[in-house]
Amino acid sequence: MARSMCWHCQSEMSGEYFCGRCVKVQPLSKELDYFTCMNLPRLLHVDEQALERTFYALSRTFHPDYFATKDESQQRISLGNTALLNAAYRMLKDPIQRAEYLIRLEAGSAKDIRTSPPADLFDEILELQDDLEEFRALSAEDSSARRQTLQEKLEASRRSLEARKADVESRLFDQFDKWDVLHAQTHDDPATQAAKDAVLKTMQALLSNRTYVTNVVNDLVAAVGERTGSGRT
Amino acid sequence: MAYSDKVIDHYNNPRNIGSFKKEDEDVGTGIVGAPECGDVMKLQIKVEQDTIVDAKFKTFGCGSAIASSSLATEWLKGKTVEEAGEIKNTDIVQELNLPPVKIHCSVLAEDAIKAALNDYKKKADAETRTETTTASAGA
Repeated sequence: MARSMCWHCQSEMSGEYFCGRCVKVQPLSKELDYFTCMNLPRLLHVDEQALERTFYALSRTFHPDYFATKDESQQRISLGNTALLNAAYRMLKDPIQRAEYLIRLEAGSAKDIRTSPPADLFDEILELQDDLEEFRALSAEDSSARRQTLQEKLEASRRSLEARKADVESRLFDQFDKWDVLHAQTHDDPATQAAKDAVLKTMQALLSNRTYVTNVVNDLVAAVGERTGSGRT
Repeated sequence: MAYSDKVIDHYNNPRNIGSFKKEDEDVGTGIVGAPECGDVMKLQIKVEQDTIVDAKFKTFGCGSAIASSSLATEWLKGKTVEEAGEIKNTDIVQELNLPPVKIHCSVLAEDAIKAALNDYKKKADAETRTETTTASAGA
């Protein structure tokens, strides 16, 4: 990630984050991807301790407090680098966001990957909405049998959708394993590339699925979640 | 950022909420989803002699998605199947004054219209074929 030339003294850069000659802090390139920024290989199983260590070390290096007495250019660079670090850390720490980010990096845009929508899930979601609507319309004091039935039905749906979400996530993590194995192989091999594309596509489909399920689960939890007391099973 | 009055109106008083029987020959159903936000939209048309006589929708999503599909059903009524295919998401954006971050909701509505039209056309074609076959078989 070393830059070719110091922004200040124009000398050839020898240091990584600071100019070897004038000791001015250097901006991290805007094109730098988060994995490179954090000194991590482009793998989906991340060494979380290593990620945290790098994050803390670089945060100390670039922390705006250390540049409070420096000139304005250096303060700006310190702030910009810190912002980039924070964004990178937040993105890579969470496995779901990490996968979404990797797909964007590798496929240009997630939209470039077309996946067929899960039709059976859509039907289920829309049916559930009817029950949810009816349930919401009944007041909390309502003790009718209908309300009780609806509540039980919605709770059962919540449990089954939560299980579905867990299943989608476990299938997603299987793809993490596949990706990491493929990534370790040679880059030029067309068969490897095709296998990688297949993994990206599968992950994209699973992530979309997960988004739909998560939305409904959140709605269900909001409607029946807290009221049951017993909550999660 | 605030929703336009038109979005709020459609959200609070959605037009044509509901559904038709999916299996009916004169009904076209489009179910589409937006993987980015998890919105799901179902839009149905009822066709008589190539004209859309009724339209219904059911949307699980944000205010803009609901407004977009509500507006779409209003526009669909009275149009021929061919005219309906010309509805563009940009028309919806303009009518509802959707902000840039909500444009994908109008795209979803256009996709739903297209899906419903395709579903209807597929059924209609299948029926024509069956009729022809029956006719020739009878002759």
